[in-house]
Amino acid sequence: MRLLALIALLALLTAPARPVLAQEADPTSPDPRVKFKDGERYLRDLAESLEIPRSAICLELSRYDCADKAFRIVLGGVDPYDIRIMQPLDQASLASPIAFDRVALQVCSNRVAKDKADPATAVLFKPAAGRPDAAWRAALTDRVYDRILRRDADEAERQRMSAFLQGIEARTGRSPKGQADQTILACFALASSAEAAFY
Amino acid sequence: MTAGRVRGPSGPKAWAAVIAAAGLSVLAAGLAGPRGVAVARPPASMEFCKIYPTAHVCAASPVINCTTCHTVPPARNLFGEQVSANLAPGVARPLSDADYIAALPAALKAVEALDADGDGVSNLAELIGGSQPELASSRPTSARCTPGQPRTAAGGRWNTCGYDPAHAYRKVTLDVCGRSPTRAETEAFRQLLPSESAWRGALADRLDQCLRTPYWLGVNGVLWNLANAKINPVDSIKAGPRAGSIPLADYEWDYNLFAWLNTGDRDVRGLLTGQDFVKRVSDSPPTFEPVPEEGMRGLRQAGQTVPRDKRAGMITTRWFTTVNTMFTPIPRTTAAAAYRQYLGLDLARMQGLHPAVSEPADYDSKGVAAPACAVCHSTLDPLTYPFTRYDGIIRNNYNPNRLKNFVRTDGARVVEAPEAGEIFGQKVANLLEWSQVAANSDAFAQKVVWDYWKLMVGREPGPADQTEFTLMWKGLKAPDKFNYRTERMLHALVLTEAYGRP
Repeated sequence: MRLLALIALLALLTAPARPVLAQEADPTSPDPRVKFKDGERYLRDLAESLEIPRSAICLELSRYDCADKAFRIVLGGVDPYDIRIMQPLDQASLASPIAFDRVALQVCSNRVAKDKADPATAVLFKPAAGRPDAAWRAALTDRVYDRILRRDADEAERQRMSAFLQGIEARTGRSPKGQADQTILACFALASSAEAAFY
Repeated sequence: MTAGRVRGPSGPKAWAAVIAAAGLSVLAAGLAGPRGVAVARPPASMEFCKIYPTAHVCAASPVINCTTCHTVPPARNLFGEQVSANLAPGVARPLSDADYIAALPAALKAVEALDADGDGVSNLAELIGGSQPELASSRPTSARCTPGQPRTAAGGRWNTCGYDPAHAYRKVTLDVCGRSPTRAETEAFRQLLPSESAWRGALADRLDQCLRTPYWLGVNGVLWNLANAKINPVDSIKAGPRAGSIPLADYEWDYNLFAWLNTGDRDVRGLLTGQDFVKRVSDSPPTFEPVPEEGMRGLRQAGQTVPRDKRAGMITTRWFTTVNTMFTPIPRTTAAAAYRQYLGLDLARMQGLHPAVSEPADYDSKGVAAPACAVCHSTLDPLTYPFTRYDGIIRNNYNPNRLKNFVRTDGARVVEAPEAGEIFGQKVANLLEWSQVAANSDAFAQKVVWDYWKLMVGREPGPADQTEFTLMWKGLKAPDKFNYRTERMLHALVLTEAYGRP
C-alpha cells in the first residue's frame, strides 16, 4: 500500500503541469551508442552503492529476485533453458520501463527502511534536527548523487533537486516520515534516470 | 527441474526449411515463367559482395540479404526493378546462373548513379554508406561532428566527437566486470588522461582483471550467454547434474569448451577444430582444465564419445550431435546449424550458397533434387556429407559404416552417400577437413568478431563502423596481430571509436 501511495504521489509530482525536474538537454552525440545497463548490472551497482547485499536488494513478494526471476527478460536478461530466449531482447518491451521504475522504487524504499531502522548506519535517510531546511536538502542531494550516480551534482542539478524537494514537502509534510518519503523520492528520481539506466 | 523443448525434425529449423522451400517454389515458378516475371537469383547474394567489397553490407558478411533487391522474393523492390531493367536487356529469359552472373556487374554499374527511392542520394552512395537504396526514409548517416557542434556533454565529462577514454573505462567495467567503477576508480583513471600510455595501460589492466571474473567467465556469465544460440540448451534432455527427464547429453561441457577457447592464449578456431574436452574446475574464480583421455571413461556418457582424432570442436560433441543429428542419416540440420552458428551463414535465407556440380544426389530419397529444393540443397547436401559418419542420439560416435543402419528407413542408396563433401566450393574428404576450411575462412572470423561486436558495442556493425569492424576480423586472422586470440581482439575492440565514443 505504501509503495502504491508513493507511486501515486510521484505521478502527481512529475505530471507535466509541474515540471520541477525539467532541464535543458545536453548536446547530443551525432551517433549515440548508449546501452541499457540491464537488471543484473543495475542491481549490482545499487547493491554496492546503497550497501545492501545483492541477494536482498530487490525481492518481489519478498521471494523472487527482481533481476534474476521476476523481471528477468524485460530487464534485458536471457532464459535459454525454459523459455528459449537465448539473447537479450533487441528492443525493450512495453513492460520494461514499468519494471524498471518498480525496481528503482523498491530499492530506494528498501534503503530508507533500513536507515530508519538503524539510524547509526544510515546511508541515505538522515532526519533533520529541526525543520528540514535548505542545508538538509543540499546534504540529501549530495548523498543521493554520490551514492546513485557516483558523482557530484552540478549547480543546476542542485537547484532542481532542491526545488523538487521543496515542491513535494507540501504533500509529504515535514515530519520524519515526510522526510523519509522525500528521501525515497529523491533516490527514485536519480535511480530511475537515464544516467542510472544506460551507459 | 525445468521443462525445455526438444528441438527435433519438427523444430524451428524444419519450419525454416519449409518456409524456404515454399519461397523456393515461388522462385522456381518465376524461373520457369514467361519473360518479365520477377525472378530471385540465389547467386546474387554472393556476387554482390564480389562486385562491391567495400559496401557496408559486405563488411560483416560475404553475402547480402535478398531484400537488397527484393521485397519478398521474387517480387522486386524499387532498386531491384532498376537492376532488372538493365540486366542483359534483350536476352531471352530465364537467364542461366552463368549468364546472370556475367551480366550482373554491368547492370549494377548502370544503376549506380540513379536514385531508386528519390531521396536525393544515389544508389551507389546508399549501398556503400549502408542505407537502403529502395527506401526514401533511409539515407546514409554520418558519425562525424559538424563544425560548430558542441564537442562535449554533461558538463564536459564526455567527449561526444571522438574516443573518450573515461567512457571506455566505464563501459569495460560494466560490460566485462558487471558493475560501474567506483568514484575512486573513476577519479584515479581521470588522473591518467594526460598520458595516453598511462590510461591505455590502466584500461588494458581493467579489461584483463574483468576477463577473469565469474561475471564474464562463470556459469550463466557473459561468455556462457554468448554461446546460448550456438549450444541451444534444452533442460528436458540434459544429462549430468540437474538431469532432465530424458537425459541424453550434457550441454555444460559445450559451454566449458566455448569459454576455454575464448579465453587466454587459445586459438578460437578450436571451436571447429579442437580436440580437447574441458572440465570446469571451479566457478569462483572460474578455472578450466582439459580432461586427459585416460580420465574420460566416466565422463563419456555426458559429454564426449567421439575418439580424439575424429573430433571437430563444438560440432562433434555429444550435445551437438544429439540435438541436431538425432536419428538422421544425412543430417542436413546439423550442417546448417554449424554453418549458421559458426560461420554466420543462414541457408534458410539463401546465404552462403555455393552449388556443387551434380548435386543434390538425394541419397536418402527425400525429393531434394526437385528444382524448387535443389537451389539450396545443391549447397546443403555436399555440406552435410562429412557429418554422415557421426551418430546422433544414444551412440554419439564416429562410425564409418553408420549409414548401413538406415537402409530400411531411407532406402538402399543411402549407403552410397560419401563422407567427402564440399564447403565454400572446396572439396573436403571428411569433417576434419571441412572444419579446417571453415575455421580458416573469412566467414568464421567475421562471425566471431560480429558476436563480440554486438555484445560490446551494443548493436550490429553500422555504416560508420565498417572500417573498424573490418580491421577487427582481419586482425583476428593475422598471425602478427590477434592470431585468432579473442582476448587480444577484445583489447583492440575497446580502443575503437565505435566502442569508446559516447
